[in-house]
Amino acid sequence: MKKFLKEDLWRHAIALVICFFVLFPIYLVFLSALSPSGSLQVTSFIPKAISLRNFHMLFSSPLIPYLTWMKNSIVIAGIVAILSVVIGAASAFAFSRLRFKGKKQGLQLLLLVQMFPAILSLSAVYVIMERVYSFAPRIGLGTQPGLLLVYMGGAMGVNIWLLKGFVDSIPLELDEAARVDGASAVQTYWLIFVPLAAPVLAVVSLLSFIGTFNEFILARLFLVDMHARTVAVGLQGFISGQYVSNWGPFAAGSIIASIPLVAIFLSLQKYIISGLTAGSVKG
Amino acid sequence: MLMLIMSSFAKREYAISGFLTVGLIAIALTYLTNYSIPMKFFLPGMLFLFAFVVGPILYTVAMSGFQYSTGNYISKPDAISRIIATGIRPDANQTTFDIIVGEDSSKNLEILASDPTNKVYFLSTATTKTDLDPTVLAVDENGDATKAPGFHPLTPDQQNAVDQKITDTRFAYSSTYFITIEGSNVASLKSQTLMYNSSTDTFTNVQTGAIYKDNGVGDYANVANKVELLQPGWRAPIWFSNYTKLFTDPQIRKPLVKVFIWTMVFASLTVLTQFALGLLVAMIMNRKLFGRRIYRSIFILPYAMPSIMSILIWGGMFDTEFGAINHLFGTHVHWFQNGMYARAAVIIVNLWLGFPYFYLICSGALQAIPAELSEAAAIDGATNRQIFRKITMPLLLQVVSPLLVASFAFNFNNFNIIYLLTGGGPSNTLGGDVAGSTDILISYTYKIAFGAGTQNLGLASAISVVIFVIIASISLYGIRRSKVLESFK
Repeated sequence: MKKFLKEDLWRHAIALVICFFVLFPIYLVFLSALSPSGSLQVTSFIPKAISLRNFHMLFSSPLIPYLTWMKNSIVIAGIVAILSVVIGAASAFAFSRLRFKGKKQGLQLLLLVQMFPAILSLSAVYVIMERVYSFAPRIGLGTQPGLLLVYMGGAMGVNIWLLKGFVDSIPLELDEAARVDGASAVQTYWLIFVPLAAPVLAVVSLLSFIGTFNEFILARLFLVDMHARTVAVGLQGFISGQYVSNWGPFAAGSIIASIPLVAIFLSLQKYIISGLTAGSVKG
Repeated sequence: MLMLIMSSFAKREYAISGFLTVGLIAIALTYLTNYSIPMKFFLPGMLFLFAFVVGPILYTVAMSGFQYSTGNYISKPDAISRIIATGIRPDANQTTFDIIVGEDSSKNLEILASDPTNKVYFLSTATTKTDLDPTVLAVDENGDATKAPGFHPLTPDQQNAVDQKITDTRFAYSSTYFITIEGSNVASLKSQTLMYNSSTDTFTNVQTGAIYKDNGVGDYANVANKVELLQPGWRAPIWFSNYTKLFTDPQIRKPLVKVFIWTMVFASLTVLTQFALGLLVAMIMNRKLFGRRIYRSIFILPYAMPSIMSILIWGGMFDTEFGAINHLFGTHVHWFQNGMYARAAVIIVNLWLGFPYFYLICSGALQAIPAELSEAAAIDGATNRQIFRKITMPLLLQVVSPLLVASFAFNFNNFNIIYLLTGGGPSNTLGGDVAGSTDILISYTYKIAFGAGTQNLGLASAISVVIFVIIASISLYGIRRSKVLESFK
């Protein structure tokens, strides 16, 4: 008991303080989501009345296509997550295992382009997509496929780099054995690399998914139409105006949008952490 | 894809159609032949990378060499035709005509103009004017002509379809005067005041006699008075002027230095606080503790939540009147109106967002340190503090330092938190400041490029390139230390 007091009590004390710091904003989100007045205006930290009005509003109001936003976000982030990893993994494999001219330069280029502040090539992306729109209205500026293409390009650098690290860690003997047995590069890729890297691919696509789900600036620039918006852009619309009363639906919407992400994160934290230490920083 | 190439070529987007063509040929060569096996693996990735990352970067670098700002957005020929189009004035009597828009027998745009007071009637196309005899014309109750031989009026729908053409056309009147359409049934007499001389590349104002010459930085300037410019200008190549301006123009340099210092402070403080708190939590949790799993799940919540939403929520909490923070502490702090408080708020929010990352990293690293090391040190009589300083920290830093550098580079460009939390403010906008107290380089540059006032894409691009160089050097330093590049050798 004495040891508990000496060793553990202060740990609990500090941990509880940090818990308060962490949970305070989250508690407030729930508070305002459940408050009938729907504001972040705090008069008391203990709710006087609880109502589901804000949640109800998200799903019933014709002015707030919340479900469409959620669907857009999930579809866009999902497609980017899967395609960018499928394409990125092939490149990573080539960079890690195959010998060819210009490999070093390619890797350096890959590293270098990632250091360019992406926000600032925004105007260039905008101009390019505006031009694409002029001849192909379905994939240019203001369309979801256009946004998807831009995301894919953006995700490529990070994913290739991240995946290359994992491929490097797969023992070389495996491919050598495969080659001795007469496997081509393509066969090695499909029969050796893909099955071995499957969990890693899943983690990287998960990180891609979260990153895309969180993306805001490009999405706001691209998606002007109310029904085409992603959840982040849509919800930001509630509070970007001067209307304090819209905090309620914003908070409710945030909670629902967070649930899938938090659930994925908590259940797969072990795998995600291994991906993090490989050097990705979540945006 | 072939269709895209053709349609882009038809729209004269040669750069894009060229890129698509090269891409298509590359795809065909790669997948139809066995010329290069590695290409089969990375071609799709490379195409995306070039189209949406490398391409825009090159475009940005190119833009930094141009005078590319509000008033200088278009190309020089476009600017010249715009100056010609706007450099007109009405005649001395401000003559107007009642008109009907139509076509002549060969489908050229034509107007039937009437001046009932002076009994003047004529037909006019862009090239020819045909006077009509008032005595034989059919006129309505206002004295306006309603029809003329060979003239076919357009219905309102037909007019809408060629609306732009109608407003752009200059209908013939005399050698110095022409007619432009003002409204649905009214046109007025105009003459050109700014005359363009293509052989000397100058504009002359026929009214005042002033001569305007290309000043080399994208505008026609009055020869006698250099600051008097014709609008609009064009995007002219000015090579390195945007870069030299960064260092020589005090109006640009002063805010830039201020913003740069705060960016460095912000990024280092963020990394330090996040790492310190993360390490503290990791060390507290680095033993069997009642409720450890619950604590752990709570601590990584900020990391798992969508960061945009957390930032916006914090923004609401710092509100002076209604915010939860002031309510909790019973204070009345103007968080976002005072520069220092706003900076503190940014750091606090970023600490909340980022410490779980370092907690996860540090707890992983701590567990990887063999317990024997500290046990051996303890037997040799080392105190806890000594063990921490001499054994734990050095080992930990070895693992964490590349991530600290990466995190520094990330926060150096952490646009979202600044943009969504404070918008870079507070700033003295009345005093003409673009840069706010919490603006970091990237949000400041964003304001220069896309802000509410004068937008200067050329200057913003130049700053981006400078940021790029800074970040690249920091990261290369970090990478060299972590020896990631070893595999290149």
